[in-house]
Amino acid sequence: MSLRIGIPRALLYYRYFPLWNTFFRELGGQVVVSRPSTRRVLEEGFKYADDDVCIPIKMIFGHVLSIKDKVDYLFVPRFLSDSKRGYCCPMLAGLPEMIKYSVPELPPMLSPFVDERYRGTRLSKALSKVGRKLKVGPLRIRRAYAKARGQHDQFQRLMRDGGSIPVLINAFEANGCFPEKPMAEKREDESLKIGVVGHPYSLHDSLFNFDLFRRLKEAKASIYTQERVHLRIIDYHLQGLKKDIYWTLGREILGAAFHLLDSKVVDGLIYVTCFSCGIDSMIEPLVGFRAKGTASPYMALMIDEHTGIGGLVTRLEAFLDTVRRRKFNTDDGHRKSWA
Amino acid sequence: MKITVPHCGQMDIFINALCRRIGPEFIIPPKTSPRTLDLGIKYSPESTCLPFKFILGNFIEALEKGADTICMISDHGPCRVGMYDIVMQNILTEMGYRFNWITMDNNQILRSHLLIFVREQRKRGVSPLDALRALLFSWKKMKVCEEMERLTHKTRPYEVNRGETTRVYGECLRLIDGVANLRELKIAREDALSRLASIEQDRTRHPLKMLITGEGYMVINPHANQDIERRLGEMGVEVTRTMWFTSQIAHATRLDHFKKRSKSKAIRASKRYLPHNIGGECNASIGYAILYAREGYDGVIQLLPFGCILESVAKNILRTVSRDYDIPILTFSLTENLSETTITTRLSAFVDLIQRKIKGKGK
Repeated sequence: MSLRIGIPRALLYYRYFPLWNTFFRELGGQVVVSRPSTRRVLEEGFKYADDDVCIPIKMIFGHVLSIKDKVDYLFVPRFLSDSKRGYCCPMLAGLPEMIKYSVPELPPMLSPFVDERYRGTRLSKALSKVGRKLKVGPLRIRRAYAKARGQHDQFQRLMRDGGSIPVLINAFEANGCFPEKPMAEKREDESLKIGVVGHPYSLHDSLFNFDLFRRLKEAKASIYTQERVHLRIIDYHLQGLKKDIYWTLGREILGAAFHLLDSKVVDGLIYVTCFSCGIDSMIEPLVGFRAKGTASPYMALMIDEHTGIGGLVTRLEAFLDTVRRRKFNTDDGHRKSWA
Repeated sequence: MKITVPHCGQMDIFINALCRRIGPEFIIPPKTSPRTLDLGIKYSPESTCLPFKFILGNFIEALEKGADTICMISDHGPCRVGMYDIVMQNILTEMGYRFNWITMDNNQILRSHLLIFVREQRKRGVSPLDALRALLFSWKKMKVCEEMERLTHKTRPYEVNRGETTRVYGECLRLIDGVANLRELKIAREDALSRLASIEQDRTRHPLKMLITGEGYMVINPHANQDIERRLGEMGVEVTRTMWFTSQIAHATRLDHFKKRSKSKAIRASKRYLPHNIGGECNASIGYAILYAREGYDGVIQLLPFGCILESVAKNILRTVSRDYDIPILTFSLTENLSETTITTRLSAFVDLIQRKIKGKGK
């Protein structure tokens, strides 16, 4: 079997790509990933996507359009839930239909239904259904999944250790394995520590956030993303809430943001959110209130189709100035004037 | 304890009936007005959905009126409504209000709220039997209100003097609201029905039949959807809507299993287009559109607050439903900035389009 399976470089790609890639390769397929996002990809997406949805969804429309003619199957999984007690954004659950009914001339879609809350619909079961659809024997599917899971676990471990996700994924895409030394050498001149939280697809798509990470690096800041915070720490920090946050990603973002703010690991926190994101609209205020309580510098960057690079750079510079001034003038007189 | 709840359709009548019989004291927020929305917009995060802003506005006005306990439903589903309570508590505390908050969600009803309820009852000396009776009475009252509202949907397109139905309906609601026991309710119902029947009607008209579906809060509340039912009715359209206070409760308590147009039937009907139930009203919106298209309705209107994460999935799929069943579907994505003129213009264009389509078929 040498089928070409297309994976759009958007949404949960940033979380599950090593797993999907290994799985399909082990089954004997050929994985085709769409090129990194460009302005044109996004604009193509605008044409076909509904105007009510958020930009990441429009982005995946663009990516689907850019690879649909080059593949035999399109892999767009339907994630209702990706943890034992949580949901994904409901748009991810309706995504295959949104694409199917809006984009013309699609190749056949592989969209397994994933609901981690129940045994019969876990990711392993869902993927083995896909394998059966591609007419692969059960033993081979099992082996492929085991190997894929191993890669996924390693990916998560490397993320926790501070590997940057785009670097990890790009290396994985090129070589089929992760680099030996994923951590960037700690540079001596990095004087600030900035926490950046947000949905992985808005954090790691450099078109979407206008190369935020590179800009931060240039400003001599080291970056902490929410992927580096361990799940147990997240659980610990969310104990105080009266409510169980039921979105898996939202939960991770909120817990990580609380951790970064409370423990003073970072000097300032940036929340990257996109316009009309339902989850962020509820999580972001909570982070904002907590930041107010701990009196740490905090900025919510909301990005929409019209966000200009100038505005973003200005805000970022102003924010970094604030952080710097706070950090280096720590004598009591200044503290008082800030409080 | 002065409890307050947000406005949702005619729920204030239900609450009034309940608290007049068994207490505790309720403070119904003032009728939702532009000021409510302004307050809501001012204090809520900008990208939350429209129901959040209305409800927050209701709460602020109720707290100004002297309420000290807020009662709010919640959820553990994928919809944002489950997070309302925690965000609103933060906002209201930040504003400097002091209040107790009761979250009603399915996990906590048995564990704590029923206990609080029973304890409160004991304090005031209300027996469980009385409580049950009061609940049933309020439920019946609600049913009567909704029966009348359904009747106005049928009457309005035929009325000779425009606006008469709305006026009579208002009178009838006041009549029902004043009733104190079941016997009086029966009499009031007869009275109200005869009043509605005596509206001058022109039965020679052939009104279009239209379905209003979509997100619950938007469908139920005339203040949120710019009174779309009245507007359509006065344009000569007979409307039906999918969402009622009692039908929602009946669905949640699984009492509507044998109804012809129950929500579970709608969800089943949507399986062809969206094979899994993804929560909220998404599947039901699609399903109802299909069910009513099969019944021969002329058009469907979907209402959603802008950015609703569930309904925008449905919106995408409804386009295909519209093509497959040959039924025009109009989607209103409502924001706080939507003006009256936009609504009327779009509605009359839609009605015009359907009339022309029917005429074309006739030939």
